[in-house]
Amino acid sequence: MKQSRFHRIYEKGKRRKKLFTKNLTPGKTVYDESVINENNLEYREWNPKRSKLAASILKGINKIGIEKGSIVLYLGASSGTTVSHVSDIVGEEGFVFAVEFAPRMMRDLVFVCEDRKNIAPMLYDANKPEEYKDKMTEKVDIVYMDIAQRNQAEIFLKNVDMFLKKEGVGLLAVKARSVNVVEKPFKIFKQVREKLERNLNVIDYKLLSPFQKDHCMFVVKKWE
Amino acid sequence: MDFEKYYMENLKDTKQKLKESVKFDDFIVQAINNIDEINRVVNTLAKRLRDWYEFYNPEFSREVYDHEEFVNAVIERKDKKKKDSMGADIDKEDMKPILDLAKGIESLFKLKKEQEKYLEKIMEDNCPNISAVAGSLIGARLIAIAGDLKRLVLFPASTVQLLGAEKALFRHMKTKAKAPKYGVIIKHPLVARVSKGKKGKAARKLADKILLAAKIDYFKGEFIGDKLRKEVEEEFK
Repeated sequence: MKQSRFHRIYEKGKRRKKLFTKNLTPGKTVYDESVINENNLEYREWNPKRSKLAASILKGINKIGIEKGSIVLYLGASSGTTVSHVSDIVGEEGFVFAVEFAPRMMRDLVFVCEDRKNIAPMLYDANKPEEYKDKMTEKVDIVYMDIAQRNQAEIFLKNVDMFLKKEGVGLLAVKARSVNVVEKPFKIFKQVREKLERNLNVIDYKLLSPFQKDHCMFVVKKWE
Repeated sequence: MDFEKYYMENLKDTKQKLKESVKFDDFIVQAINNIDEINRVVNTLAKRLRDWYEFYNPEFSREVYDHEEFVNAVIERKDKKKKDSMGADIDKEDMKPILDLAKGIESLFKLKKEQEKYLEKIMEDNCPNISAVAGSLIGARLIAIAGDLKRLVLFPASTVQLLGAEKALFRHMKTKAKAPKYGVIIKHPLVARVSKGKKGKAARKLADKILLAAKIDYFKGEFIGDKLRKEVEEEFK
């Protein structure tokens, strides 16, 4: 087990690299991920097929910004797969605000939150940030969004505008198929990029194949 | 920073909201999905039963086409073997698992009937107009595909006409394949019985009326379901 390019994310293997994070709740797993014990520390495997953030790290993205002590706004938390790894990385000093709108997924997420005291579940529509702005800190270090919606770029811009610190990092996972099923994916990614660049600096962009089909990840920062 | 406050507050809020989020739509969706699932399972199991049973009495299996009838006949041992049957003589010991399977399938049929009764009742109570126009099963299936009643109401009628035909629709949009004319409403007796050339027309009309009915149900209006149904019935006699 060795340190990867990113803070508190570990990797193992050469040909087929596997990612790991240190388990914040030793003895408990979130989904059926495998666990490795080394030097009395427990590491959880991070599956790139289930998590777009893990996929983009393996694809060589140059910045994720998430580190020990970060405050993260996570939009589209779903059942808490990626969220649990983000919670591992930020540790007890950091905090994750996990927004999810579907009650079905939220039920699973609540069980994750009960074990992990650094995730706050929030049952809100990410399209309406005014509704949850009183429920969280004024500004955050990271805005991460993974929502399969047609207007995902607009939702992301709205949230970045409201919550992201000036020096913070925004991460946006785009699912081409939910913007337009018929259009070619790269055309959609281009459109999204243009929309983002009107207000933000796009500092990296990675396609997530072969881990995820027709997905890509954008890393943005605010203008200086 | 003091995150404890955010944690406790949000967790409490979310739990309360989840508690309040359960609506009758959810029960409709689960019930109809379960009924469809039982149908699938029963079909697979009944096919296996026939396969297994045919060692003993293949002629009888071919005589009775309906799965339910066949299962009941096997359980009640009404299956007289013909004298010149090509079925083998089977020990009691080997026959028992076959009969047990038949009993299991029978209980699934019973479960399905009970759940259909339940679904009919909640549809009748909450969506009387949809039930009258579309029937409780098809109405529930439409709600299940849409997600809940609210989302169904927000669809245009042309979408409702094609709900359940997504695969064909996207194939049509991506390639030059033919456009589908109907989704789950093809099973509605009104659409199913009209002649082939008019099915699309009937489906379009019916989808329109179903959506009207859904809107009335959503906003808790008066009952005019039977009138709506009659309109479609008269046009496609």
